[in-house]
Amino acid sequence: MPSPMDIYKLLPKTNCKLCGEQTCMSFAFKLIKKEKKLEDCKPLFEPEFEEQRRKIEEMLKVVEKATETGLIVNEDLCIGCGNCIVVCPVHVYEDPEGAGSGFGIRLEKPILRVENGIVRVIDVSLCRRYKEKTICVACRENCPTSAIAFLEEL
Amino acid sequence: MWVCTGCSCLCDDIEIEGDVIRHACRIGAGLYLNRSVARTEPLIDGKQTDIDSAIERAVEILKDSKRVAIYGLNNSTLEAQKIAMKLAEKISAYVDNGSKFGKLAEMILRKEIPSTTLENVKDYAYVIFYWGCDIHNSMPRHMSRYTYYPRGKKRQRGYEEDRFLVVVDVRKSHTAMLAKKNAIFIKSDDDRKIIREFLTALEGGIASGDVLRVVKEIKKSDFNVIFGGGGLIEGLGNELEEFVRFVSNVGYFIPTDYRTNSMGFFKSLFEAGIPKANLEDLLIDEAVDTAIIVGSDPLDSMPFDVAKKLAKLKLIVIDPKVSFTSKIADVVIPSAISGVECGGRMLRSDFTEVELKPIFKSEFDDAKILKSILGGL
Ligand code: SF4
Ligand code: SF4
Ligand code: SF4
Repeated sequence: MPSPMDIYKLLPKTNCKLCGEQTCMSFAFKLIKKEKKLEDCKPLFEPEFEEQRRKIEEMLKVVEKATETGLIVNEDLCIGCGNCIVVCPVHVYEDPEGAGSGFGIRLEKPILRVENGIVRVIDVSLCRRYKEKTICVACRENCPTSAIAFLEEL
Repeated sequence: MWVCTGCSCLCDDIEIEGDVIRHACRIGAGLYLNRSVARTEPLIDGKQTDIDSAIERAVEILKDSKRVAIYGLNNSTLEAQKIAMKLAEKISAYVDNGSKFGKLAEMILRKEIPSTTLENVKDYAYVIFYWGCDIHNSMPRHMSRYTYYPRGKKRQRGYEEDRFLVVVDVRKSHTAMLAKKNAIFIKSDDDRKIIREFLTALEGGIASGDVLRVVKEIKKSDFNVIFGGGGLIEGLGNELEEFVRFVSNVGYFIPTDYRTNSMGFFKSLFEAGIPKANLEDLLIDEAVDTAIIVGSDPLDSMPFDVAKKLAKLKLIVIDPKVSFTSKIADVVIPSAISGVECGGRMLRSDFTEVELKPIFKSEFDDAKILKSILGGL
């Protein structure tokens, strides 16, 4: 997952304000939070920045994968241990006999499910961060390989 | 529901729908999804043959051998292991599975050290030790399926209140990183020293702050459990007396040998009354001239000098998959992947018997192959 600094380093760094932000750094922040689009940075589309733009686009692919709650799964790091699924308070509440008791989740549309050995986001609309806008980090906190991240914490 | 044979958790809640396999971790999913990759075919001296001829050749080799070792069997069912023991008795073969858990496993079988089931751990355990094992990587669902994370009968409030996690290891492993709230990581340079410190503290003596804190938690519950892995076994060496005393004071011990049916192997060995051999020692002493390798790849895992000696033996490999050892074997007999292509029973890491639920059928499996060899002798 790229940090705002990683992106900033590749921007024109002229603080031209054409994007509507005061500094390139704040533009970098908003890019990651998906509050700005790369196209808003006009100078970056000049030929001299071509290579840097490509690199940023590559970095932003990860950001694109983030769900509406800002939850991002890095599938390469996941080994399918199921910790995140079993600790999720929504799963425990909705599926006490299944995920709440350690078994594979029995909900038709859970938030997360391990498929082919890797965790997949199935339906993020149940996530507490989405519905109640609470700050829940249980899944991320219990993933020792940092396969789960939240956008705003980056 | 499928029973995964990827490790000794033997997770029995796996769903398979076409090419999607649900709830199995990466190891288990890989076992199933890559089942057709790198399969063996019947070979004699590297040349293709049919399976009956390969078995016949294996019998001939055994008849000409002076002393045989049977090695592996961790991926074989209890049924196949029993036949292997009969074969060992018939030809006075040495038997080894390459695991160092033998002594503690035998003590559990003799009831010399208190042990329990993973279901009981889920329902009752408060303090949970992981000692010398990075369980997150070796048996990925162990913590979420059976121990720290799930809610159980007497443990309804979840891991943050109803469990206390202790990770003891030489380094901060992935598992150690999970020791956050209501948990502790103890870095160990000397396991026996820490065990002695625990014993002192449990008897009211002086110990370091970390140990005292854990002992305070231990005293809150009469159901605590220690999971011990390869690191602990190494740390203990041959001196198990203090460890047994420690376990008896804390609660229960369950080994964490990831090898799928390693506990089954030890039970089969124990029931047959055969002492466990050590193939590496046999090779160093040049005590065997032939080895039957079942579902294992010792050439890959042994130190170079010992592996060189292994390569000089007459080798009969029984395996569904191509391995370094199969590539240099005199005879290769293709088998079935236990649990995927053949059924039978295995023992989970806590000695609970589990019936496998194969998805596919296979004409040959370890049990049938070993039986034919036994019959031919
Ligand atoms: S943030 Fe909380 S509610 Fe959302 S998926 Fe993770 S654990 Fe579940
Ligand atoms: S995301 Fe992390 S906690 Fe969840 S299954 Fe994958 S490795 Fe385990
Ligand atoms: S933890 Fe072991 S038994 Fe369970 S799914 Fe993973 S490999 Fe299979």
